[in-house]
Amino acid sequence: MKISAEIKTIIKDSLFTGLISLALFGPIVGLKTSSKGEGLFVTPHVSIVVLLVAACIVGRFLIGLNSLRKKEINLIGNITSTISNYMDNKGKHVAITGVLFAIVFPFLPFTDRYVLDVSIMILTYIMLGWGLNIVVGLAGLLDLGYVAFYAVGAYSYALIATTFGWSFWVCLPLAGLFAGFFGILLGFPVLRLRGDYLAIVTLGFGEIVRIILINWYEVTNGPDGITGIPRPSFFGLEFKKFPDEGETSFHTFFNLEYSTMHRIIFLYYLILVLALITNYFTLKIRKLPVGRAWEALREDEIACKSLGVNPTNTKLTAFAIGATFGGFAGAFFATRQAFVSPESFTFIESAIIVAIVVLGGMGSQTGVVLAAIFLIGITEVFRDLEQYRMIAFGGAMVLIMIFKPKGILANRKPTITLKDYIK
Amino acid sequence: MNNSLLKVENLTMKFGGLTAVDNLSFSANNNEITSIIGPNGAGKTTVFNCLTGFYKATDGEMFLNKNDEIISLKKFTDYKIAQKAKVARTFQNIRLFPAMSVLENLLVAQHNELMVASGYSIFGILNLKRYQDKEKQAVEKAKYWLDIIGLTNRADDNAGDLPYGDQRKLEIVRAMCIDPKLLCLDEPAAGLNPKESSELNKLLKFIKNDKKTGILLIEHDMSVVMGISDHVVVLNYGKKIFQGSPVETRNSKAVIEAYLGVDE
Repeated sequence: MKISAEIKTIIKDSLFTGLISLALFGPIVGLKTSSKGEGLFVTPHVSIVVLLVAACIVGRFLIGLNSLRKKEINLIGNITSTISNYMDNKGKHVAITGVLFAIVFPFLPFTDRYVLDVSIMILTYIMLGWGLNIVVGLAGLLDLGYVAFYAVGAYSYALIATTFGWSFWVCLPLAGLFAGFFGILLGFPVLRLRGDYLAIVTLGFGEIVRIILINWYEVTNGPDGITGIPRPSFFGLEFKKFPDEGETSFHTFFNLEYSTMHRIIFLYYLILVLALITNYFTLKIRKLPVGRAWEALREDEIACKSLGVNPTNTKLTAFAIGATFGGFAGAFFATRQAFVSPESFTFIESAIIVAIVVLGGMGSQTGVVLAAIFLIGITEVFRDLEQYRMIAFGGAMVLIMIFKPKGILANRKPTITLKDYIK
Repeated sequence: MNNSLLKVENLTMKFGGLTAVDNLSFSANNNEITSIIGPNGAGKTTVFNCLTGFYKATDGEMFLNKNDEIISLKKFTDYKIAQKAKVARTFQNIRLFPAMSVLENLLVAQHNELMVASGYSIFGILNLKRYQDKEKQAVEKAKYWLDIIGLTNRADDNAGDLPYGDQRKLEIVRAMCIDPKLLCLDEPAAGLNPKESSELNKLLKFIKNDKKTGILLIEHDMSVVMGISDHVVVLNYGKKIFQGSPVETRNSKAVIEAYLGVDE
């Protein structure tokens, strides 16, 4: 008797869900405008709407039934908790295996140019995620304008490289320094703010940088962007089929058949090394007093003050270091694309990076990797769906939020243990 | 004779029209526990906040005798009170770093020394011996305090997972890790059971006698106040109404009136 009453509520619940999804999908998916001859016409897409609504109703019903059985079939939750348990025990092995896999990855049989391009993109986001993890995950400062530092890095690389013609290896540190400098510049006035207020101001800063890039035509070439950014060279060897006078090209030096893949593979390794440096640095600095102070500030700023920790300086270092890594990633982005424009540095980029950090599990380095692969990978897998692929992106986020509200890997490991010290 | 540690002169703190602390003067000595008591809203915590730099006093002076050098606490704001003047405090509602381990909590308290030793992170990144040695010392100091409060076997657990009484004790030893001259405790016995409360008394006596640290104590638990104080300052409506030994305080008419009201 009781069961049937519960099923009744589940059915009610599912129908209500159907109603909401109808209200949402009806106008968004169901009505499509098309221009024929003169004027716009509305073409209804009834079948798609019916399918989507039915899917929502059935899905909701299944979730309801599932919770009835008490024993939740929590697939994603199970997988991720297995992963996090495993990571706790065998973290080091997993990390080394992961890095080794990443190293041999370009030479695996199924790796073609497209897969490698996507991997480079994922690695860029991983690096950005690791950079932002210092600010958001460790220091607990919600920075919604991280893309500004990415942009500063990309544009400083582009401008220095095109104006002075210096090599990639000179411009890269300069781009990082510039971004770090901007981090300090923004940090000084802003870091007195807390929580939501900080988030809003950094959001504004991100937009300000983008708008300056659009409007400062004399320097940034406005919305047209900067073209002809030099490609990186392999210790002076160019990746060109026909090198210029006095240059040696990579394929002739190593006696290889010319292939565009060489450059892609080189870019892949470049971003891999940059990302790993970011990771190594973060893991190292987390165990230093400044890293512990970041986490302490995240936990309780007032207690920090009572212990003599200077909150402003501590936050500023987090901001500057995070910005520097953002700048490095930006420089890489510029040299990879050979073209930068303000289009690439919109708010959505900041949002994706924050999503990667938060969904990965604040402060977890491995979590960032998993979240980046999951979120960026899933949008790529569903690329055929065109504009609907953002639904897949949103869906992936919702799934993580439902099953792992604290992020994929939320376990924090102490930076130092008495156990190891006494040994 | 220079046993005087803290001298508060004519301290006044106003919030708009409200005078929370009114022309308060008192002093506290080295190696003594001075309790500040008074009914709720008497301004006890406000005095603490002025002393420890969280509020900027409207008027008055506060002098601290730091190794025979008299310094004015008014000159230090914010975190510098702990860093430079070596005045440590705990909070009425415990403020640990709950998601960090017990040991990490105690290391954050030694942040400034470690920061210098790590060459503002540069030596630390390079993993120089100089920093490693300093870190070892810091861990040993933390272990020393953990041994005293009996939490050594929980050093690697999250501070937030400790029982309430242990969290209180941990907060006190965390404050002790900055090697304070003056330790300000805001209701350390609140919420403790009698056993924990007597352990706390023992800890405070140890800090007073063996560590030669002056303690300023706000407390409502009279068994603690009467049991360990050398000196009691009674506040009511921001004004000092009595100062004396615990026995004198217990018999003072003014104090009884403040707590129980006046006979009609």
